[in-house]
Amino acid sequence: MTGFRDRARREIAEEHRSAALLPIMRKLVADSRAMLARGPADARDRAAAARADAVDRLEELQRRLREQLALRGVGYHRAATAAEAVDIVRRLLGDARRVAKSKSMVAEEIGLTHALREAGIDVLETDIGEYIVDLEGRGPSHITAPAVHLNRARIRDLLARAGAPLETDDPVVLSQHIRDVVGRYFQDCDAAITGANTAIASSGRFAIVENEGNVALGVSHPRKHIIVTGLEKVVADEAGALAILQVLAPSATAQPLTAFTHILGSPPPGQERHVVVVDNGRSRILADPRYRDVLRCIRCGACMNACPVYRAVSGLAYGSPYMGPIGAVISPLLWPRGGQADLPFASTLCGACTEACPVGIPLHRMLLDLRADAVERGAVAGRAERAAWKAWAAAFSLPTGARAAAAMARLGLRGGGRLVRPLAARGADPRLLPEPAEPHDPALLAAAGPDRSERPVIAPEEVLPPTPVERFRLRAGQLGVGFPAAAPASALELSAAAAVASTGSVLLTGAPVDRRALLAAPAVALRVDPATVVEYPAGLEPYLGADDALILTGPSRTADIEKVIVRGIHGSQEYAVLLEPPIA
Amino acid sequence: MASVALFDPCYLQTLRPGDAGDARRVLEALGDTVTLIDGRCCGQPAFNSGFRTEARTVGRQLLKAARAHSAIVTTSGSCTAMVRHYLPGLWQPPRDAAAASIAARFVDFATYVARHPALDRLGLRLPGVVVLHESCHSRRELHASAAFSAILSRIDGLEVREPAFAEECCGFGGTFAVKQPETSVEIMRAKLDALGATGARVVVSPDYSCLAHLQSGAAGLGIQLEAWTLPELLARALA
Ligand code: SF4
Repeated sequence: MTGFRDRARREIAEEHRSAALLPIMRKLVADSRAMLARGPADARDRAAAARADAVDRLEELQRRLREQLALRGVGYHRAATAAEAVDIVRRLLGDARRVAKSKSMVAEEIGLTHALREAGIDVLETDIGEYIVDLEGRGPSHITAPAVHLNRARIRDLLARAGAPLETDDPVVLSQHIRDVVGRYFQDCDAAITGANTAIASSGRFAIVENEGNVALGVSHPRKHIIVTGLEKVVADEAGALAILQVLAPSATAQPLTAFTHILGSPPPGQERHVVVVDNGRSRILADPRYRDVLRCIRCGACMNACPVYRAVSGLAYGSPYMGPIGAVISPLLWPRGGQADLPFASTLCGACTEACPVGIPLHRMLLDLRADAVERGAVAGRAERAAWKAWAAAFSLPTGARAAAAMARLGLRGGGRLVRPLAARGADPRLLPEPAEPHDPALLAAAGPDRSERPVIAPEEVLPPTPVERFRLRAGQLGVGFPAAAPASALELSAAAAVASTGSVLLTGAPVDRRALLAAPAVALRVDPATVVEYPAGLEPYLGADDALILTGPSRTADIEKVIVRGIHGSQEYAVLLEPPIA
Repeated sequence: MASVALFDPCYLQTLRPGDAGDARRVLEALGDTVTLIDGRCCGQPAFNSGFRTEARTVGRQLLKAARAHSAIVTTSGSCTAMVRHYLPGLWQPPRDAAAASIAARFVDFATYVARHPALDRLGLRLPGVVVLHESCHSRRELHASAAFSAILSRIDGLEVREPAFAEECCGFGGTFAVKQPETSVEIMRAKLDALGATGARVVVSPDYSCLAHLQSGAAGLGIQLEAWTLPELLARALA
């Protein structure tokens, strides 16, 4: 059985992952930090509190959710295991033969796409990143950016091999090609499957975030929509959901909010909707006080973005649908008898993950506990290692052992001089332990050259305009939203319920919001009353209404190919706001 | 004049035997009376490897040796973090409380010196340029960043450079460096690049474990970079 080390060695040697991932992740981490700083100062604390509360009252909230969903006519199905979840989805699909699936980590976890295909159902991954990694066949390498390990040339190759030779490897061309394939499929499929970022217990709604618009097409499928979600993905109320949304996109992709934030109310007329709530080990995790807080996770990926190990080896080295620090914690908990017991050791324990996590999960401390568990269960460390630690403990606890211990340590630490190990591609292990008594040369203090560090450019602090509506205009403008004097000809005109200053977002409500009309329109004009502009997403709570809502934050987009932003995926890139009454 | 105990961690005894002497000189220059305690190891190597029984066996000796002292200065950030944050948790209540009360008296060298009332009177001077590498344990578990920088800024004539991406790990991670050598080296290369780009030839850290790792990498890759501990730097700056 191959372990983390073998896979990591391969990713480093054959792919030199850090060359691409290090710059991407460094930028993402810096941008995320700046984006979070735009929000309210207590945003992370509020998100953590909302998640902690949900974990504390998980079953109570699930009961409430079930009652509320019944009132909306949405089916609620609880699956104890992955196999049960797959069976339920198959049964719910009935005679559906063509299924459009959007991104869902739980679906990856239970192997849904694979299982449905085995059963003869045609499943299309409709997220651009997922579509690409589906062609490659190695699975996603990041929870929010599945294809981040592939460059444009490789993606063009994959498409060509799948029968779609394209003239260039321009991310715009590649993204638009996949967009068209997906768009055609949506015109003629029997059902849609999506994930959900959180279910809202008090109202029976679902918050789902996305950038491309494929989820908008999925949730508005004319006949059947199935949501697959984890047991822990519930939150008490709208305030809690907004607290989560406020940190999710900034932490995940350094966006203020994603292009679409769906607050799904009742299904559109004619649509049958179900939710499958997957346990698959979560109840067991909940029962262990050392690990239960990992159920707070909102799957933002910030921990892997910050992780030095992830950046060196990519998500493919983890051998699990969940990678990086969250993967190293949750994989052995979900699959106690799987081959993931070595993942908690794939960490330097630097704590960058814990620091990055917006909901306060002490990831590096959990890794330590999981290491002890793995040793105790006998899942890692062979007889030789166990004997070595015993001997070490004995040597270091002899009453007169200082000398013996030092000698022992010298033996252990310096035994080989050079730590020669077969390091596949990038040469043998170059490390050479220093001589203990080596005197240091003070001349080196003076031997410095000029500082040539390439530091990330820190944008100068913005001077923000004084009123919320002007701030809204600034932020929306930065996302590519126009503010014309009149609606463009042929634009679909809609009245907004509210808008958000810090994110440049516009809120639409309806029973339900007609997402398909919105995406089909060549241009969209949104009328916003300046009096309804709130400062932060959390301020939208009183405007959300009781049914369906959609928060738009800039035009649809993707960054699934080399993190290059391509605007206008499903739906227009022409997107205008009319302030009514206009401001001076 | 205070009386302090000094704990010289196992790997420093082995890899940098002069370090305890340097730390003692600095503490004595501050006017303290220094006792070297007979503790060998905080138990961290075993603890981080999942061997908690072994970590407890070894850690017990250190707590025993420290029991009589009101302040135990430790010249390694990661060992201080181990003792303060993890060691007491290896015992069940109520014994963990006794362990915690001793553990709470451990303080890292940087924090101790930065808070010392006599620091201003030391008259530190050392012309030259250094680059600092703050260890992850010192930064995130001990929150000692400010103390570390404050001390360096007291040294007359010393230019302190900070590398780009200073908060990034060096790839050491204790037994990680041995068990996952490919990944460890990959991370280390990025850190060496950032340190090297500052132009400094001497890197200083409150944690010699990271330094030894970086030093071993620099030596093997032919990069001119020497790793100095904080006590070593201060001892040279004394007079
Ligand atoms: S553990 Fe925290 S940082 Fe990592 S994915 Fe989950 S919420 Fe995000």
